[in-house]
Amino acid sequence: MIYYLLLPFLAILLIVLQNMVADIIFSGAMVLELSIIVLVYAGFRLDLIKGSISAFVLGFVFDCISGSVLGLFALTHVLVFLFSFFVSAMLMTEKMFLIALFTFFCVTMEEFIVVIFYKLFYGFDMLPNIPAAFWLQAFIVGSLAPVFFYLMRKVEVFFYDKPAQSAKWAGTG
Amino acid sequence: MFFFRNYKTIVFIVILLAVIVTVLSCNLKQKSSGGLVSRVVFEIAAPVQNFLNSSFKNVSDAWYRYLFLVGIEEENRNLKKAIDHMKSQLTVYQEGYLEAQRLRNLLDLKENKDFDFVIARVIGRGQTAFSQTILINKGTADGVHDGVPVTAGPGLVGRIMGASWHSAKVLPLIDENSNIDACVQRTRTQGIIRGAGSLGCILKYIAKTQDVREGDVIITSGMGGVFPKGIMIGRVSRIDRLESGLFWKIYVAPVIDFSRLEEVSVLTSAGGEDEDEK
Repeated sequence: MIYYLLLPFLAILLIVLQNMVADIIFSGAMVLELSIIVLVYAGFRLDLIKGSISAFVLGFVFDCISGSVLGLFALTHVLVFLFSFFVSAMLMTEKMFLIALFTFFCVTMEEFIVVIFYKLFYGFDMLPNIPAAFWLQAFIVGSLAPVFFYLMRKVEVFFYDKPAQSAKWAGTG
Repeated sequence: MFFFRNYKTIVFIVILLAVIVTVLSCNLKQKSSGGLVSRVVFEIAAPVQNFLNSSFKNVSDAWYRYLFLVGIEEENRNLKKAIDHMKSQLTVYQEGYLEAQRLRNLLDLKENKDFDFVIARVIGRGQTAFSQTILINKGTADGVHDGVPVTAGPGLVGRIMGASWHSAKVLPLIDENSNIDACVQRTRTQGIIRGAGSLGCILKYIAKTQDVREGDVIITSGMGGVFPKGIMIGRVSRIDRLESGLFWKIYVAPVIDFSRLEEVSVLTSAGGEDEDEK
């Protein structure tokens, strides 16, 4: 229960932090969606209901703070989580290069959903101008994902004495 | 779908997606800023953003202060020279101001002091691929409400797109969703300024028969009643003359540097309007 009570506040903290980091490093020229890493982690580790609620809350808070159409990022975040959950059931998701590659793919997928949404409903045709920023963002977030997973593994070991999945698979043990 | 073993889970996911799609479609139709839940999230996020922002600013300020100590004596000498130069310039400008006042009285023009301002601090930015909002630390409790214009120093920043009790979101004029009635100061030709993200803005609906040059100043036209007339928006940076169609594609570089924006003034109400209301 305490998880669900803390979730909105943690989501706000994460979104505010990622906005601030992007603002400091890129001066507003680029978005850095670190929340995608958390979604991928949730997809690999959490159960379906807990993870989808987390994804929804994270996306909803992102919508509220960023000023985009309410529900857009809630939808994309839940889709990314469901996709991660599906992949975690099909593949061995502990390899670090696979985590980086998968996160890269998820960020790209999310950005393209957003681009298509804006193209369909608002007629913005920004696709020719932004691929460089998209790839760069996906690359940075993808590169940071293994670091996040490694740190979370340490946290899991600290709190539960052993990680949720074998460290042999990840090559971090 | 072998992982959907429990049908209750499937029902839950379907309901969740249905709720999200409903919220999304409602917001697409109404284009609202989100209602009470959104306001509450915003109200909680504002102090967090403010705290993180000021913490970072304190650390960076301390670092820059240390860096600036190097060569401060020479800088001090240069500043004293600059002050002397500015003092002499100030005298010239004061004379010019007084002359303008006299001319204004002669022409019987009313001085434009019809607006109440609220000074607000930028406490954060919300960014997505298509939206670049600015978060400020003043809200409805300070008289800031949806739709009012926001300016900073030399020119227009944008307008308020959503206000909670103690903070508000500003839709900057470079945002793709922003459309502002504008005119070319030199020729008084009117058009619409639309945000173009990192490209600045685009001045639309200027016919190819009109005379527009690079460097022309673009100001608000006062049409539509949202923005007062004559606030500077930017300068024409490029004109796409190869563009087919009836209108020029004119790129405008905003006068405001949005990445360095720290304080803004919100035009909370027009004096004239208040009088009318009374």
